[in-house]
Amino acid sequence: MLSTLTFFISESFISLRRNGLMTMVAVGTITVSLCIFGFFLLSIINMSNIVSNLGTKVDLVAYASQPLTDTEAENVRLQISRIDGVKEAKWISKDKAWKDFKEEFSDRLKLEEIVDSNPLPDTFFVKMLNPELSAKVSKEIARISLIEEVGFNPNLVDKIETLVEAFRIGGLMLVFLLSLATLLIVVNTIRLTVLARETEIVIMRLVGATRSFIRWPFIIEGIILGMLGSGISIVIIKFTYEAIIVRLQNALPFVTLFTNHFWIGCVYFLVAIVGVLLGMLGGYISVNKQLKEEN
Amino acid sequence: MIQLIGVTKTYPNGVGALYDINLHVGKEEFMFIVGPSGAGKTTLLRMLYKEESPTMGEVIVDRVKVNNLTAEQVPYLRRNIGVVFQDYKLLPKRTVYENVAFALQVTGTPHFQVRRRVMQALELVALLRKANSFPDELSGGEKQRTCIARAIVNNPPILLADEPTGSLDPTTSWDIIQLLDKINKRNTTVLVATHNKSIVDGMKKRVVALEGGRMIRDQQLGAYSGERLSNA
Repeated sequence: MLSTLTFFISESFISLRRNGLMTMVAVGTITVSLCIFGFFLLSIINMSNIVSNLGTKVDLVAYASQPLTDTEAENVRLQISRIDGVKEAKWISKDKAWKDFKEEFSDRLKLEEIVDSNPLPDTFFVKMLNPELSAKVSKEIARISLIEEVGFNPNLVDKIETLVEAFRIGGLMLVFLLSLATLLIVVNTIRLTVLARETEIVIMRLVGATRSFIRWPFIIEGIILGMLGSGISIVIIKFTYEAIIVRLQNALPFVTLFTNHFWIGCVYFLVAIVGVLLGMLGGYISVNKQLKEEN
Repeated sequence: MIQLIGVTKTYPNGVGALYDINLHVGKEEFMFIVGPSGAGKTTLLRMLYKEESPTMGEVIVDRVKVNNLTAEQVPYLRRNIGVVFQDYKLLPKRTVYENVAFALQVTGTPHFQVRRRVMQALELVALLRKANSFPDELSGGEKQRTCIARAIVNNPPILLADEPTGSLDPTTSWDIIQLLDKINKRNTTVLVATHNKSIVDGMKKRVVALEGGRMIRDQQLGAYSGERLSNA
């Protein structure tokens, strides 16, 4: 069993070396496709992340025109929550808003260097029972004294979600086409090896080697191509993504990019799996064609 | 050992290769299949190891109905049949030893058995001293003996030879046929397809003659030419 496995693996490496140029082309193609695939996945994760942050389930935001005392704030909050269609209203004091803001951005911005006093107003987060009524409700809230402005853009989240959805479909299409192209190139590469070893296959069949025995070296060859391609692309994705994160985070501190190691690990894992599967499938298809032709 | 019942082979393009062949070859028999090129000799042999299937009729090898074998079962049939070719089909980048060992390695023979069995086969065909030569460095007869060693290294009960002397001079041809005879005497059924008249006449073995895909003669202690079957 062990000697058979050694036989397979050494046969695979010999043929990869013999077809050096084609091996490089195949690994290169797999790498490019998997890089695009990986970046696509990361973009999707980031967009979904941004969208879910945007839509923190607050439908309207009302800002006070002046600093409020606790009683004033509670009074305003009650007025808002009594409006038809409002589910609940929550008061975030000026100080708390400033504290939260500083906490969230302290690692990226030196706020004290920009502003010396708290520029944020008292804020009310309003959740709607029925978001359709947002326009009407925002007008009513705006009439409350002590309220200066109502932030209201109920369609923004929807619009971004539609955009992300379109991006997702287009990206999937792209990934599918690229996988197909990669598969064809892998098939072609291994096909060359199959043809170069035609006599060997003929003799193997003649002396009674099983079909799976004949297939394995080629499938292993495909797996090796896939592993090389996905390994390289994971390295590329990792370094590029980290570079992008650092630059974007400096340029756009308000956009939180995804850095959760578990999910990014999942992306790398998926890239590796897809690479190996593509290689395996390529190897299988190319040798199977040969086995069929001879029957 | 081998039985053909009403075997007919027609290719998809309508060309017929064999018509209603009925044949029984006993265990440990030595038989020549003779006839001009295109008579169907090769097709007949190829059906025995299921490289081709009959359009009609039944092929039975070692009590197994070959027609019914699935693609997964065919390799195991072939391990019981050694095949020798006119063009040897040796792997040029492997030595004599490696060419013979290849047949064992790809059928999953345990590593420790390979060396012993290859050496035995090479001894039988008298090629031990060429074990480390490459096919390029061998004479035609030596190549054919390598091919025979590879065919018998598995100890198959049946050995098929398709024009084994087709590329050899008369003396070497005779040596090869003597070697096949020797293998036959070691309890192996041997079928030789040939159009080499002097060899067939010299051996005085059973002769089956084909012509245009029909069996025209089946003769014990036969010669290359002779009386046709009355119904042919």
